[in-house]
Amino acid sequence: MLTILDNFTKRVHGFFQGHVYRNYLLFGAAVMMIPLMHNFGIIGSGTLGIWAYIVIITVVALGLNILLGFSGLISLGTAGFVGAGALGTGVFLNMGLPFELAALLTILIAAAIGALIGFFSLRVEGIYLAIATLFVGEILRQIYTQIEIFGGQMINIGAIRFLGFFTLNANPPSERRFLFVIIVAVMVLMMIAMHHLVHSKTGRALLAMSRSQAAAQAMGVSILSYRLIAFVTATVFATVGGVLYAVYIQNAPTTAWTLDLSLFVIAMVVVGGFKSIYGTFLGAFIIHGIPNLILAELFGDVSYIFSGVLIIVVILFYPYGAIQVFYDVRKWFHKGRLKLTTKRSDRSA
Amino acid sequence: MKTPLLELNQISMTFGGLKAVNDLSFSVFPGEIVGLIGPNGAGKTTVFNCVTQFYKDYEGDVFFDGLKGKVDLRTIKVTDVIDQGLVRTFQNVELIPDLSIMNNLLIGAHKQFKSRLIDHLFNTKKARQEEARLSEKALEILTFLKIDHLKDFYVKGQPYGILKKIEIARTLMSDPKLIILDEPAAGLNDRETDELEALIYQIREKYQTTILLIEHDMGFVMNICDRVCAISFGKFLAMDTPAKIQKNALVQEAYLGKDD
Ligand SMILES: Nc1ncnc2c1ncn2[C@@H]1O[C@H](COP(=O)(O)OP(=O)(O)OP(=O)(O)O)[C@@H](O)[C@H]1O
Ligand SMILES: [Mg+2]
Repeated sequence: MLTILDNFTKRVHGFFQGHVYRNYLLFGAAVMMIPLMHNFGIIGSGTLGIWAYIVIITVVALGLNILLGFSGLISLGTAGFVGAGALGTGVFLNMGLPFELAALLTILIAAAIGALIGFFSLRVEGIYLAIATLFVGEILRQIYTQIEIFGGQMINIGAIRFLGFFTLNANPPSERRFLFVIIVAVMVLMMIAMHHLVHSKTGRALLAMSRSQAAAQAMGVSILSYRLIAFVTATVFATVGGVLYAVYIQNAPTTAWTLDLSLFVIAMVVVGGFKSIYGTFLGAFIIHGIPNLILAELFGDVSYIFSGVLIIVVILFYPYGAIQVFYDVRKWFHKGRLKLTTKRSDRSA
Repeated sequence: MKTPLLELNQISMTFGGLKAVNDLSFSVFPGEIVGLIGPNGAGKTTVFNCVTQFYKDYEGDVFFDGLKGKVDLRTIKVTDVIDQGLVRTFQNVELIPDLSIMNNLLIGAHKQFKSRLIDHLFNTKKARQEEARLSEKALEILTFLKIDHLKDFYVKGQPYGILKKIEIARTLMSDPKLIILDEPAAGLNDRETDELEALIYQIREKYQTTILLIEHDMGFVMNICDRVCAISFGKFLAMDTPAKIQKNALVQEAYLGKDD
């Protein structure tokens, strides 16, 4: 009996220690199942949109985690870039560009602005950087609402034509589910890219820069280059999130990109887990999902009070983020495995 | 006589009104182990910061006959000093606590990575091969320092003696011509200090490198150094063999105070 259990735990362990892609792909596949759950009547019809938002905002928060978790930098301008992604895609699509080109142009323009902020960030630290980025976000928001090409209230995007041959419209449920699968696929790709990034020379240099600037410099890490890289990457992630918003929602409001959103994204990183990729998703789920999916049904309008309390509790007990819960579980699991193995060797001795 | 590897020429460094280093000159020759001593606040760390270009606004010149020939270090950016074959440790161990020991060593090889951000995002073959090659090098160094069994552990939570070793290991990643160590024995117990002594000799042997170190542990300095430079209040006192430095009246006075 013990041997069977031991074998089982070993296999489970081996499976998850395996190839890095596998875990992300499995995770993505699991999230893609959510629309099916609707077919089986497990989740309500309005909830797919909430899940889609969680997926989209996870991509945004991953970028912020590169800034906050790895590089020790802050941005309060995140919302501005999510808006840039959504509105930029809308503007270019309305100009008649194909979707892929529209998305690419939007991302490139936003990345350039991100680089500018990175360059600027060399001159300001801490709270000053926070305030500076706050105003970058504000300026972007003003631009969206004041300048005509953004259509005043919103840009209607409508059905999106992918790769020039298949078109998906957000209205019919069947097509919406397919759109959901697409945005989850992009999220998984972004997760894998981030995984590679943080385990590379670049990731190490970002950490070195934030943990010990002196050591980083002595080892040849240029603070300018890596601040630029940090801001450009974070901006690109936020903008990709905005593009996904345009893809899924198919219209881009001009007024939605406020400081609240930027702060919520920060909360997702803090609550979910600094430096943790799955933790970022978990953070997005806790901050956006729990109040809207679970608490709203139970408590109605006051659900945000409960989610607020929940978030404070998480921060109190898991200062390194809720993902720590899973690490603890894994630790117990390992301990259990160890016990099993020692028991067995006791017996055989 | 051989040409010096490192040459300090009338270095002065002022903080506000305080002359932390005052008209200091000395040289280090290839293959030497040189100690820089002086009472607390004598300006030793400041000298290191000038040499490694953390401070740029010092007076005087520092020349280094490194991997790329003789250069005036002032013309080299702080982040490019390592390319010359000059690398340092810090008085307050400067490591990345939330990275594994292996990854901390790889930071020491930062400049040897030729792959780019794009390679990293897509984890291209180039990036993977480079990572494997330099990890191999790091493992060799860790094995040499006998801490290879710890390679995958976080730096955070390691005992002080291990931290000091990791910092030294990280310097070795860059194939340095000159390693400068700021108080390598501080905080070590007697056994660890003896071990460090042996280690520094081994490093000089194996990596054909020169070592300049600051240390307060006089036993250690006297045992290990070929020559010792003593300073006090930023000023040069004497530079000589350990035995002669111990007998030097100026040095004794700086450490013990003047007899009235
Ligand atoms: N960045 C700085 N700004 C102002 N004063 C400084 C700075 N760095 C050092 N000092 C001062 O310069 C003097 C020399 O300091 P330094 O750290 O070089 O001494 P040290 O010889 O390394 O001493 P210790 O043995 O205690 O490490 C001290 O009086 C110190 O207070
Ligand atoms: Mg010092």
